[in-house]
Amino acid sequence: MIKRVTGEQWLAFGVILLGLFMAWQLQDISNDAGYAGIGPRFFPSLVVTGLIVAGGALLMQRRHRNGPDTILSDGENDAEQLEAEEDAERGEADWRMFAIASGSLIAHMALISLIGFTLAGTLLCFGVCRALETRRPMLDLLLSFLLALGLFHLFKWLGLNLPALLTGGVL
Amino acid sequence: MESLNALFSLGFATALTPANLLWALLGCTLGTAIGVLPGIGPAVTVALLLPVTQSVDPTGALIMLAGVYYGAMFGGSTTSILLNTPGEAGSIVSALEGNKMAKAGRAGPALSTAAIGSFIAGSIATVLLTLLAPIIAGFALQLGPVETFSLMMMTFAAVSAVLGNSPLKGFIALMLGLAIGLIGIEPQSGQSRFTFGLMPLIDGIDIVVIAMGLFAVGETLYTATYENKMKAGLETLTGRFWMTKEDWKRSWKPWLRGTAIGFPFGTLPAGGTEMPTFLSYSAERKLASPEAQKEFGKGAIEGVAGPEAANNAAVTGTLVPLLTLGIPTSATAAIMLSAFQQYNIVPGPLLFDTNPELVWGLIASLYIGNVMLLVLNLPLVGLWVQFLKVPRPLLYGGILLLATMGAYALRQSWFDLMLLYIIGVLGFLMRRYDFPVVPLIVGLIVGPMAEKHFRRAMSIHQGDLTVFLTHPISLAILVVTAAILIVPPLMKRRQKMLQAA
Repeated sequence: MIKRVTGEQWLAFGVILLGLFMAWQLQDISNDAGYAGIGPRFFPSLVVTGLIVAGGALLMQRRHRNGPDTILSDGENDAEQLEAEEDAERGEADWRMFAIASGSLIAHMALISLIGFTLAGTLLCFGVCRALETRRPMLDLLLSFLLALGLFHLFKWLGLNLPALLTGGVL
Repeated sequence: MESLNALFSLGFATALTPANLLWALLGCTLGTAIGVLPGIGPAVTVALLLPVTQSVDPTGALIMLAGVYYGAMFGGSTTSILLNTPGEAGSIVSALEGNKMAKAGRAGPALSTAAIGSFIAGSIATVLLTLLAPIIAGFALQLGPVETFSLMMMTFAAVSAVLGNSPLKGFIALMLGLAIGLIGIEPQSGQSRFTFGLMPLIDGIDIVVIAMGLFAVGETLYTATYENKMKAGLETLTGRFWMTKEDWKRSWKPWLRGTAIGFPFGTLPAGGTEMPTFLSYSAERKLASPEAQKEFGKGAIEGVAGPEAANNAAVTGTLVPLLTLGIPTSATAAIMLSAFQQYNIVPGPLLFDTNPELVWGLIASLYIGNVMLLVLNLPLVGLWVQFLKVPRPLLYGGILLLATMGAYALRQSWFDLMLLYIIGVLGFLMRRYDFPVVPLIVGLIVGPMAEKHFRRAMSIHQGDLTVFLTHPISLAILVVTAAILIVPPLMKRRQKMLQAA
């Protein structure tokens, strides 16, 4: 029987990959500056080992309802059932909303130096409102704009340097 | 009584200057407001304020940040009682009984017992802090790099094994924090590590970006993906507001017991407020009178009074290791530590000698802040309730605005905004798969310190790794560390065997 790879196991793969990637990067750190064999490479090596070992343990681990961190031989494997139960409790994932929220953040990142904090921020705040399913888009847009404008001026007054669209720094 | 002398001659003299009083008031007000808003806790708030405080003098800034830390704890109880969505971990238990009380029309007494209990616990804990801190600092002066490193190992073990329900996930979170902490120039050799040739990574990833990403962005992504359909009902404040004589009689013992449970837990590197609040709750449940016991689960005032007191006492307790050893034991304390570092101040035993005005001013401001918070939270509670009516989408939008602003203001670079998003996705995944965040934050901040102490210890002792076991204090600390890791799983196993038998 082929078992489905659970989300947690994908994460475990990710942790191991990160460890391997860092191990590869370790070569770029030269080790000659250390005292008594303890150079700048020593601590990263420990972290790399920790990541790979812990990732491996997470991959091997099967959860069951009597408690976390029980290794497979400890009892029956009801990880999949448990995960299904948790999913039901959590509710369906709405990836469209995840994409809207992510898109708003990425758009904000791309636009902030072009159209200034206030307008980019308005878009971000409005995007988040869309992602959280509000029913009054026009009101949201207005409130987002007022919020961004207010914060912009508050923080400018506090001495934080933020990009503006107009040279006078009104927007 | 040297410490009392220092408290009054230095501490209150510093804390009572008009400017510092204003910082304390600002911190307490902001903290309460933030604590009331569902979904954001003190860690994010302190991180958000870091860039703003750069132009303020260190004493004023730290007084304000401490006020935020405290205030968020007070405000958090309002949210859990009226909305049943605790803003931070320490308030989860208060929601159990508090929200039931509010549903039964007893929101007023629930809020009162939470606020007065927090005040009493906070004040007693601050007295304990005043008396204990100089003694522990004096003891800590004798700790060399060997002992300090062992102490940090104990902190790592405690925050990753004790918090959350899976020590393995806690350990992975800790490793991720340590890994992120490695990025940048290694101070002793001047070499860059894991910067991938990218200039912006040379200084490392700023704590502001990490905290905002994990908490604010991660939380928003999670809410958008999973919690759109969830609607929480806001309870209204009706009926009598003040506590009756009966309420007082039932509250005062839980307040004191909660303080006694909370403070020691805060001082231990076991991290955070979940454990003491849960312990206090189960203690109150067992100790309550038979009539009151029947009320548990339906809104017993003891179940709000005890945990709320434990929560605040624990928060004050975390300041003991932070100020005397320089070791943070909770996410907020870790970010406070980076606030100290921002001013090139190293918290630890020497702080009492090098910056006495700052330490004692900070401690004195806790007494003042407690009084301010009592006033802010009792008569003015109606004002904070209005905050709960802010629609959630707009609230999250505003938080993200602040988060992106904080990240962008660091260097005026889109690079930090990209890091913010990447860390946000990490936070989303950690939330989705139940990874605790505290070990990551503590690892990130304490990791570089631990490496420094380790290498210092090694260069003093010619690379002899056994020093950690031959120094008696270090050995004792490591034995405790081993116990933290080994005992809880053994207990669980024994319990299971007993159940099976």
